[in-house]
Amino acid sequence: MTDMTTEFAHQNTDLDSLGPVDYIVVEFPAGASNFTGEMAEELLALVDSGTIRVIDVLILTKNEDGTVDAMELSDIEQLGPLERVETQLAELLAEEDVAHLAAAMDPGSTAGVLIWENLWAAPFASAARRSGGQLIANGRIPIQAIIASIEADDASTTEGD
Amino acid sequence: MPLRPGRAGRVGVIGHPVAKTAVVAKAVTPGPAPVAKTAVVVAAVTPGRAGRRRI
Repeated sequence: MTDMTTEFAHQNTDLDSLGPVDYIVVEFPAGASNFTGEMAEELLALVDSGTIRVIDVLILTKNEDGTVDAMELSDIEQLGPLERVETQLAELLAEEDVAHLAAAMDPGSTAGVLIWENLWAAPFASAARRSGGQLIANGRIPIQAIIASIEADDASTTEGD
Repeated sequence: MPLRPGRAGRVGVIGHPVAKTAVVAKAVTPGPAPVAKTAVVVAAVTPGRAGRRRI
């Protein structure tokens, strides 16, 4: 285990109080990015409010030939307020994860990968475990699925008129 | 730029190639009335909205 992952393990020796860990990959198609600092501000607001803890960040670029370049957050010269997030990163992602995550990207695009712990969920999850509960399923409902459900409902209602 | 050496040779946490999800912005802005469609979705997840569930 590397120093960084060891550090991550030590930070979370009490697994019972660890919140669920999620990730997102946000793709910016070629020429479509518009970085104003707004994303950083919102991320820091979530950190400062204790809602999340940022565990890892990578910036990926997928070239037209399909090869992927990965950049650490620390490779960015002017991090600004994100610097205090960078110093807390645990470097959880492995090299093989980069290839897996980049599989979702289009050639010519750049993507930000964010791994975070849902601190807000930790107390509830901990209480559920102490109560004997076991997490047997979780997931996210895509907005598209909600739209499809509503439209199907509306269609069946219309047919019934 | 290369990844930090500590990321090499470790077992990953993602486990499999990730499939691209449909882009949400496109899903909520199709057709001539994107605002209306967005409002419908918001209404669907608003507390107190009852009567849809059929089991």
